[in-house]
Amino acid sequence: MSIDMTEVTDSEQFDEVRLIDAGSNPTRFARGWHCLGRSKDFRDGKPHTVKVFGTKVVIWADTKGKLNVLDAFCRHMGGDLSKGEIKGDEISCPFHDWRWGGDGKCKDVPYAQRVPLRARTAAWETMEVNGLLFVWNDPQGNPPPADVTIPEIPGFGTSEWSDWSWNTFLVEGSNCREIVDNVVDMAHFFYVHYQMPQYFKNIFEGHVAAQHMRSTGRDDIHTGVQLDMPDSETISDAAYYGPSFMLDTVYTVAGDTTVETKLVNCHYPISQDSFVLMFGTTVHTIDGVTQEQADGMAEMFTEGVETQFKQDVEIWKHKTRIENPLLTAEDGPVYQLRRWYEQFFVDVEDITEDMVARFEFEVDTTKALETWKVEVAENVAKGIVPEQDPTKAKA
Amino acid sequence: MKQIDCQQCGTAVLVEKFSIPHTSVQWVSDAATSCPRFAEATADARDSVCGTTALSCSSLSQSIDDAVRDGRLPIKSRVEPVIGDALVADAL
Ligand code: FES
Ligand SMILES: [Fe+2]
Repeated sequence: MSIDMTEVTDSEQFDEVRLIDAGSNPTRFARGWHCLGRSKDFRDGKPHTVKVFGTKVVIWADTKGKLNVLDAFCRHMGGDLSKGEIKGDEISCPFHDWRWGGDGKCKDVPYAQRVPLRARTAAWETMEVNGLLFVWNDPQGNPPPADVTIPEIPGFGTSEWSDWSWNTFLVEGSNCREIVDNVVDMAHFFYVHYQMPQYFKNIFEGHVAAQHMRSTGRDDIHTGVQLDMPDSETISDAAYYGPSFMLDTVYTVAGDTTVETKLVNCHYPISQDSFVLMFGTTVHTIDGVTQEQADGMAEMFTEGVETQFKQDVEIWKHKTRIENPLLTAEDGPVYQLRRWYEQFFVDVEDITEDMVARFEFEVDTTKALETWKVEVAENVAKGIVPEQDPTKAKA
Repeated sequence: MKQIDCQQCGTAVLVEKFSIPHTSVQWVSDAATSCPRFAEATADARDSVCGTTALSCSSLSQSIDDAVRDGRLPIKSRVEPVIGDALVADAL
C-alpha cells in the first residue's frame, strides 16, 4: 500500500490563521473519588482544614479512628469548624460549641434545650485505600457505585512496601483538566520530562483511562526517575480511576535488577481555577534490598518525579486553556480523552455510550525517536545539559 | 474510521490507521462481553492491566493487520479528530 503524501505537504494552501478556542472552565466539580492525602496525616488528633470543591471542609478522626469530612462552615452562624476542637466523636465549633457528627448531623448544642430541626450539614463519604484518604464527590448527591473504586496495592501496609513518600503542590491559575490531558501527551514526556517514550498506548474504558508507556532515559540529561541505574528502561502501566486519581505501576529495569515502584499522581480541585496536585511513591522491597534502601530509592524517585511535576506546573502557569488543540498523528487522542473525562461532569443519566466505550490508541513513535536521538546526540557532542529545574532556570 | 469485523468473533469495531505502527480502535459494543477473549480474561481476572479489559485482543489485531494488507483499511496521513457521537453515528 502507499501513503498519499500530497495530503501532508499542502499546508501552503491554507493561509487562514487558526484561532484558539479557549472555551471556559466547567461549572461543576467532577463526580468521583478524590484523594485528599495520606490518611495518617489526618490522624494527629487535630481537625484539618482543606479547601476543595469550591468550599472549605473539616477533616477529623473520631474515637474509632474513622476519618470524617464535613463542610467547614457551621450552619449555626458560619463558624469555621476546622478551627474548632475534636470532642469525643464530634467536631465542636469554636464559635458557640455546636457539636457535629461525621454523618453531618448536629448532635448537641450544649447551652440549648434541644437541637433545632434541619441541623444537618454537607458530609462527604470517605474511604481509605492503600493508606490514602478518599472522598466521594457527586453534585447529584448519589452514593458511590460499588464498581467505581480504587484498586488496592497487594501487600501495602506491610514490610513489602516502603512508606509513601508524599508531596503536595498548589497550582493556581489553571483548571485541573491540564494535568489530565497529560495522559495522552506522548511528546511532552521528552520535552518536559526528559524521557524517551519508545512505546505509547492509551486505553479508555468505563471510568478508567490507561496509559501504557515503555521509555528510556536521555543520554544528555539524567533524572531521579531512572534511579541512578545506567541504561535503565522504564515500564509504566498507569491509569486514572475516575477523574482525579492515577495509580502507576513502574518497573525500572537495568541489567538483571528490577525495581517496582507504585506512583500515585492525583489532584483535587480547590476552585475551577486552582487545584492541589499530589504525588506519592512507594517502592517494593525486594530480595537484597533493605527497607532503608527501598526508602532511599523511593526518596530518589520522588525527587525525580517532583522535578517533573514542577516542569508541568511551569508550563500550565503560562499556557492557555485550549478547546481545539491542533494535533499530529503522534499527539495521542486528546479529543477522545476529553470525551472520556466529560462523563464525570454530566449527570449519570446523561453519560453517553461514546464516553465510556472502550477506545484504544497506539502512537507511532518512530519519527519522534529518530528526531530525538539526533537532538540528544548533538547535546552530548556539544556538552549541553538541558536545565532540569524550571525554578532554577529563572534564577 | 472504518468498520472492521473481528475474524474470530465477528465483533465490529471502528479502526483508523495513520501508519503501520499506529492504530486507533473505537469499540461500539461492550468490549468486556462482545470479545470472547476479553470475556475469558475478565472471568479469570487475567490480562487485565490497570482495570481495562486487556491491552489488546490478538484476533482483532490480526484482523486489522489483514485489512491493511488487503487494502480494505487505508493508511491515512492526515488527522481529522472526530468528536463524540459523530464518531459512532457516522460509521455504523
Ligand atoms: S457558628 Fe458554629 S456554633 Fe455558632
Ligand atoms: Fe507531564
